[in-house]
Amino acid sequence: MASADSRRMGNDGGGGVGGAFQPYLDSLRQELQQRDPTLLSVVVALLAVLLTLVLWKFIRSRRSSQRAVLLVGLCDSGKTLLFVRLLTGLYRDTQTSITDSSAAYRVNNSRGTNLTLIDLPGHESLRLQFLERFKASARAVVFVVDSAAFQREVKDVAEFLYQVLVDSMSLKNAPSFLIACNKQDITMAKSAKLIQQQLEKELNTLRVTRSAAPSTLDSSSAAPAQLGKKGKEFEFSQLPLKVEFVECSAKGGRGDTSSADIQDLEKWLAKIA
Amino acid sequence: MLDFFTIFSKGGLVLWCFQGVSDSCTGPVNALIRSVLLQERGGNNSFTHEALTLKYKLDNQFELVFVVGFQKILTLTYVDKLIDDVHRLFRDKYRTEIQQQSALSLLNGTFDFQNDFLRLLREAEESSKVRAPTTMKKFEDSEKAKKPVRSMIETRGEKPKEKAKNKKNKGAKKEGFDVPLTASKTAPAEKSVGADNGVELSKEELIRRKREEFIQKHGKAADKSSKSTKSDAPKEKGKKAPRVWALGGCANKEDLDYSAPTTNGAPEVAPPEDINLIRGTGPGGQLQDLDCSSSDDEGAAQNPTKPSAAKGTLGGMFGMLKGLVGSKSLSREDMESVLDKMRDHLIAKNVAADIAVQLCESVANKLEGKVMGTFSTVTSTVKQALQESLVQILQPQRRVDMLRDIMDAQRHQRPYVVTFCGVNGVGKSTNLAKISFWLLENGFSVLIAACDTFRAGAVEQLRTHTRRLSALHPPESHGGRTMVQLFEKGYGKDAAGIAMEAIAFARNQGFDVVLVDTAGRMQDNAPLMTALAKLITVNTPDLVLFVGEALVGNEAVDQLVKFNRALADHSMAQTPRLIDGIVLTKFDTIDDKVGAAISMTYITSKPIVFVGTGQTYCDLRSLNAKAVVAALMKA
Repeated sequence: MASADSRRMGNDGGGGVGGAFQPYLDSLRQELQQRDPTLLSVVVALLAVLLTLVLWKFIRSRRSSQRAVLLVGLCDSGKTLLFVRLLTGLYRDTQTSITDSSAAYRVNNSRGTNLTLIDLPGHESLRLQFLERFKASARAVVFVVDSAAFQREVKDVAEFLYQVLVDSMSLKNAPSFLIACNKQDITMAKSAKLIQQQLEKELNTLRVTRSAAPSTLDSSSAAPAQLGKKGKEFEFSQLPLKVEFVECSAKGGRGDTSSADIQDLEKWLAKIA
Repeated sequence: MLDFFTIFSKGGLVLWCFQGVSDSCTGPVNALIRSVLLQERGGNNSFTHEALTLKYKLDNQFELVFVVGFQKILTLTYVDKLIDDVHRLFRDKYRTEIQQQSALSLLNGTFDFQNDFLRLLREAEESSKVRAPTTMKKFEDSEKAKKPVRSMIETRGEKPKEKAKNKKNKGAKKEGFDVPLTASKTAPAEKSVGADNGVELSKEELIRRKREEFIQKHGKAADKSSKSTKSDAPKEKGKKAPRVWALGGCANKEDLDYSAPTTNGAPEVAPPEDINLIRGTGPGGQLQDLDCSSSDDEGAAQNPTKPSAAKGTLGGMFGMLKGLVGSKSLSREDMESVLDKMRDHLIAKNVAADIAVQLCESVANKLEGKVMGTFSTVTSTVKQALQESLVQILQPQRRVDMLRDIMDAQRHQRPYVVTFCGVNGVGKSTNLAKISFWLLENGFSVLIAACDTFRAGAVEQLRTHTRRLSALHPPESHGGRTMVQLFEKGYGKDAAGIAMEAIAFARNQGFDVVLVDTAGRMQDNAPLMTALAKLITVNTPDLVLFVGEALVGNEAVDQLVKFNRALADHSMAQTPRLIDGIVLTKFDTIDDKVGAAISMTYITSKPIVFVGTGQTYCDLRSLNAKAVVAALMKA
């Protein structure tokens, strides 16, 4: 009874409000009917076009914003030469990069999709800035490692890799990861498997020390993400990102004139395109 | 004579290279890039690396770098002009290839520049060759022999004629001056001035030399003419009748008396003093509040700028509109005013003055000739570039992870030794306690070595800290192991000896970290700096931390330079141990005047490892480069 009463009241209330609007709606309907019906159809058509434009742009931006492949790594790991080899297959002398270079790269798979290769500088003072700039548009990240100098630089490599991984995990669409063990033409180069094991061990220690570091000045930044599972030893398979290891040599087996040994790298690029 | 000449893009591709010797040029050029370009020391365009001098030039429009290297012992005068010529020729010849955004055009283009370069080099070398000394003119050839004798007799009437001749010469010389000063890089102007002299010098040297000759030749007349414009202004202000000293000197007492007329010997009545000005404070003689005085300062500063701003608005508006649309390349004059403002802003934020100057120079170098995009003003471009360079400076050049290194040392079963040094009163002992608290929280055992044997109460201070830390981390909660202990030998002993004993003790007892506290010392105090250098050389600590307070201004530069120099001078090793990191203390006392961070990292290029923000154990932070730069750039 009470509910029926309240419902009626609600209806009355709703009717009251509707009643307030009713004259306006009536007048609007009359106005529209008085005018040419073409005006109404024109307005509707415009609205439809606008809506499709907005939707199309939205879809386009979602697809095209993620066509970049970033080449990152420490200084002197061979990123720029790899960039040159992938694009033209030639050999060029290179210096330490100060800014990024980008170019369109056609993948050799059946569809022939286009990717944008972006070569970022590896110097310590620049790398984070450039990574920040380009990480939003990254579909894949190729982390280049100098296999010959790896034993010496293990800690620096691991630290940069840790930063890149943490940054990538915070992105909306996590990019695919490839760790390219470059400079395999040198005799003392470590294999990809060994590099993977060493990096896992190092990252295991690193996630403890990094989370124990004193907090930054403005503690508005969130706590650093945890890599892998807490209790167990760190392994790349524990990450939500896809991480693969590949061996390559940008310089090639027999010096400047020969071709580079980058087939695995190209195959991987074809796969993720 | 040149060792090498390279042209490469900023993205790292070598476009063309000339090698005079067989050594590769990548090593020195990489060193140049890392020390100069990436550390924002790009104000000066030359750099010395081992036995080579490297001169470089940036093309910011097309993102190219031109580098030339030659032996340090040679002094080649034609190098600057050669770089300019090569730059111009290369840019004009390969404009299409270097203009495009994508790197593919650079990769696919062939830059066959060898012949052109050799031609330019040959021209430059020939023009700099020393000519045979000119033979003296014979008397018959000189001008004096051509003039009749009568014209050389000086009478009163002749003087104006000579003066007219002088004026004509001056006019011609002045034109010659103005042309190289205003025209930037036009070759004909340079050639016309250079042809006078016969020796091809750089523009600035040329102008300086010509000016000296000019002053010598024409003496006071030249000075008067060059200063005439300047003297016009003050002349207008004080229209005083010039004093006439009669020749022959009629030294009359009345004539020589220039004192102001007095009445009864009393001095003239001075203008009534502004009592309010003297008193300065508000009514009633009370001290003004801090707010009032600060607003007065701002008002005074704003008033002189207002009239100039009002005058400049019309012109500025059109200029702004012109600058907004269309691609315009930046020149030094455009950036001048903005850079001055930014420099003053940085200095107001407590960045050391010479460092602010160098930073602005480097930013100007990086932006010169760059083409701005549409809808970006000069101010925004310069601010953006300055912000990027500041973030770049604050990024650590080497890994900053103390815990990782301590774990390494643990594995090798030796203690990790950290030494704290700095001037008096910066907070060494307080921050040492904070850091040991942090290490204890992370499970490492700490030995504190009291090597401050000079200051009264230093050992007691550390003993109190040790007691409190021990209470927080008693041995019971860590399996019976003493987590923190003080190693002290009282006062007056040799600090280096105490440090050595402390490290040996730590190794025997199995402590993970040794924190060595030293006495504060002024950077000018030579015997104390020697003692510190000895402590560091003898004990070879793993980390030498310089503790500096954030309140310091220009002093930071002096402190760091002298500390580093002392450490370098007194070390016997090939590569001396310098300061490895900086601890920035008393950060909570500065609001947003965070410039000291920039000064310190710029001078040493070493990272800021810790930031101290208070006096309790938890007030230890690590540096966040972006936050600091944001605070610095805030208006």
